[in-house]
Parts: sequence; C-alpha cells; structure tokens
Amino acid sequence: MIHEVIMHVVCPFLGTIGYAVLFNVPKRFYLSCGFTGMAGWLVYQTILSQRISAALASFLGTMAVVCLSRVLSIRKKCPITVFLVSGILPLVPGAGIYYTVYYLVTNQLAEASRRGMESIKVAFAIVLGIVFVLALPGKLFQSLAIRQRRVRKG
Amino acid sequence: MKILQIRRDKDEYMDMLLLADLKQDIIESYLDKSEMFALINGGDVCAVCVVELLKNRKCELKNIVTRPEDRGKGYAKYMIHHICEHYGNRCDTMYAGTGNCKKKLEFLGKCGFVNSHIVANYYLDHYSEPIYEGAVRLTDKIYLKKQLDAEINVKKVVDLALEAGRILLKNGAEIFRVDETMIRICKRFHVEYVDTFILSHAIFISAENGMEETYTKVKQVPLSSSHLGIVAEVNELSRQIAEGLVSIEEASRRLRKIDGLPENRGYFQVFAAGAASGCYGYILGASALESMVAFFIGCILYVWVLTAKKQHISKMIVNIVGGVIITALALAAYHLPLPGGVKLDGMIIGSIMPLVPGLAFVNAIRDIADSDFLSGTVRMIDALLVFVYIAVGVGVTLSAYNTMGGGLML
Repeated sequence: MIHEVIMHVVCPFLGTIGYAVLFNVPKRFYLSCGFTGMAGWLVYQTILSQRISAALASFLGTMAVVCLSRVLSIRKKCPITVFLVSGILPLVPGAGIYYTVYYLVTNQLAEASRRGMESIKVAFAIVLGIVFVLALPGKLFQSLAIRQRRVRKG
Repeated sequence: MKILQIRRDKDEYMDMLLLADLKQDIIESYLDKSEMFALINGGDVCAVCVVELLKNRKCELKNIVTRPEDRGKGYAKYMIHHICEHYGNRCDTMYAGTGNCKKKLEFLGKCGFVNSHIVANYYLDHYSEPIYEGAVRLTDKIYLKKQLDAEINVKKVVDLALEAGRILLKNGAEIFRVDETMIRICKRFHVEYVDTFILSHAIFISAENGMEETYTKVKQVPLSSSHLGIVAEVNELSRQIAEGLVSIEEASRRLRKIDGLPENRGYFQVFAAGAASGCYGYILGASALESMVAFFIGCILYVWVLTAKKQHISKMIVNIVGGVIITALALAAYHLPLPGGVKLDGMIIGSIMPLVPGLAFVNAIRDIADSDFLSGTVRMIDALLVFVYIAVGVGVTLSAYNTMGGGLML
C-alpha cells in the first residue's frame, strides 16, 4: 500500500515539480504543477490497470491534465502552458523511445517496430487529448473555476 | 523647426497673445501660473501657446496663436500635437475654450478636440465692449476637450508591443499569445490599425494611426532556452496594461526588468533534474535502488546540459552527448557490485526525462490546433529531432557496448 502511494502519488508529484523547475516556472505555481502531473498520472494508471490500451489511457490522462490546467490557469491568472508542459510530462512516452532503440540495437526488429508504433500511437493520443479539451468553450472552465473558489471560501 | 518652453519674460510675447485674446488683464491673470511654448522656425517665433495645469490630471489650452503671415502652414496643429504629447504623462484631458466662432471650432475639431461644455454669456459678462469674430458677435464660451493618451506616438507603442512579443516568443509562449498580447498593447494605446505576422522565430508588425504614415518593424527571435516564469510575468503585465493601470514608460521599464529575470540557480536545476529522473524512473517501474542511480545520472546529465548551454553548443550535440552520458553511466552502474543488481531500462528511462522536449511538443500541438501551421511544424520538427537525438545517443552507446561484448552483452 505504502509502496503504491509513493509510486503513484508522491513520485509523479515530485517529478512534475522537478520538471517545472527546469522550465523556470514561478515558485508560487510549483504545487499546482505537481497536482496536475499527479492527477494525469493517476487517471492514466487507473485506466491502464483495467487492461485498456496505453493509447486510450494516455488520451484520458491528457484530457485530465488539460482540464485541470485550464481551470488552474483561470484561477491563478497565468498562461496555461505553465501547468500543461510539466503536467503532461509523466505521460510522454519516454520509455517507448528507449525500448524502441534497445530492440533496434539488439536486432529484434519486430519488437522494435511494435514499441515504436505504440509510442507514436501514444504521442497521437496526447495530441488529440490536448486539442479536444482546448477546443471546449472557455465559459465552461470559467464557471468551474469560480465554483471551486466559492467552495474554498465557504 | 523646434518647440521651446518659454520660462522667463513671457510678457515679451504679449503682442502675439493679444491677437487671440483682446484683453491684456485677462491674459496677465493666467500667464504667470501657466506654461508657455514657442514654435521657432529659422530664428523667428512663428507661433506661441499657453497651457495651464489644472487639478485632477487636467490642463487647459489657454491661448494659441500663429503670426498672421505664417497662418495656414499647419504650425498650430503641429504645436497642439507637441503639447499633447508633452502633457500626456501628467494629464488625462486637455480643455480648450473658445468663442462661438465656426473657424476656431473647426480647427480644434481637426486637432482631435470634442465638445465638452458651454459657459453661457461668458463674453457678455467678462468683456465690457462687444467682440465680433467675422460678422458674429461672441456671446458664449465653448469648451472642448481632448483625451491625451490618444496622442501617444505610434512608434513608441509599436516598439513596446514588439519588445513584449519578442520576450514572450523567446521564452516559449504560443503564437496566439504573442499575437494577442501585441494587439492588446497597441489597442490600449490607441493604435487601431495593427497587423502582425508571427513565426516561431520572427515577428513582423505594421501599424498606422489613421492620419500618420505606416510604421513597420521586423524582429528576428532566435530559438533559445525557455523561461515560463517570464512568460507568466509578461502575461500579467499585459493584463494590467489592458486595464489601463500602466503607462507606456512604466510598461517598457517593467519589460526590461522582466527580461532580466534570472533562471533558477544552477545547483537547484541540477537537483531538480535529478529528482525528476529518479521519480519518473520509479513510476515507470524501476526499483528504489535504480531510482537512486537515476537521480545521480540525472544530476550529472544536467551539469553537462548547463555547461553546454553556457558555451552555446548546438542542440544536436547537447542531446546526442546527453544520451551517450546517460547510457554510459547506466552501463557503469550496471557493472558496479550494487546489492541486488540493477536493470538498465529503469535507470535510462528515468534519466532521459530531463531531456524530453516537453515545451516544444506542447507548443507545437497548440500552434497546430490554432492553425498556425508554419510555426507548429517548425516546433514539431524541433521536438521530434530532439527525440531522435536522444535515441541516437542512447542507441550508439548501447550498440558500441554490445559490439564490444561480441553481441552477447545485452
């Protein structure tokens, strides 16, 4: 249990903050960035554990990240990029690239192409996820952001 | 042709001032507390004007007159333009009072004044003898007003907007944000006709103010490292500019300050890269020990990235060598007698993460989604190439290692 909490909650949180530091995100946004990354990863992991394809899991995880980023960017009055870039990172198929190269080098070409295709699929899923949520009307997120603020005050 | 402020001996110009206002005692009543300007062309004073500063950021144009032989040459209009700019920082509104005379009203209208209010029977009450302008007897005094920020120089505004755009683009903002910010700044300072064309590494802007000439500028913005903190700050500033809280001088001063914002300290970045490597390694299935190794590899990797950045080494070399460093260190750790042994993949995947071009990738997608295909494509290629560079670095090292072991090491 503790192992899983560390693996799926603490690590994405810290990792996302680490990446935010590399992009010189202002200090006041570190926590929000961490939460965005964590939420995206949790959604991704939950769906992946239902034995659903990695592409679909990435798609939904990305959608969670972008939704949260849009709400946060309205609430904190800052560009959405700040949250989006670091939040999306846990979903980027870094592992896919490595395995593709690994199998290429060890001459297992079938496995290499399978991994390569999967990475490309995941990349496209991320693209679609971002584009879909960004196409939603801004008013939706404005009302969401305001409702959240009220809850906090109450 | 130049315009000077007259600080002493204002009385010397009384003859000219009397051309516009017939009573000497009325002129004297405002002359001392007002500021006076003279337009000098070829050594002769061709036109003078008097402006009185009022309370609450207002001022009044008391008197403006051109020598009879120099009328119709646009001197007065030029002069009004100049003093509007001069008072633009201190005042919001300039008033001008005149008799109910069509010619003068038309002239002031051309200079951008609009109706404000009327003091009825002013000339009947203040002047003992009747005054005629043409065939009309002057009775009421008509006040007109002009908003002064309308007078701000187009060049200054465009330069400000361009600087804001350059800083945004350089530090990794999306194309539409750059565009929106530049247009927002121009509109706020009343430069209505603006056209912008923004690429991933260049800005073209062209503006006119209705009556003046077009002003066009091109700015090249080389690709460089991104700083999202600066993007957030410029965004905040542009929001305040649009609300009208910031004057043009203050805006450019703050932009300069924002542009000089430092990056995070080197050791902090190195530590963050290590933390990101370790954490991502762990969530992607590495053991705790492998994550620790990934942490150290990430730190060493980022020392290289920062050094290379300082030396302006090309991105290609940075990423390929980065990939080589990661793999070589992971292979070294693989051979160290660590308790329980470590696997290669967890360490390498984790430490790749700080190199992953997240910003270029996300910006490329956003630009393409906004139909900025040109910039989107360029940024997408940038992102994909970085992926390829990393893969090449990792692949070459793995392959060399494998060959050294006769193809049996992996």
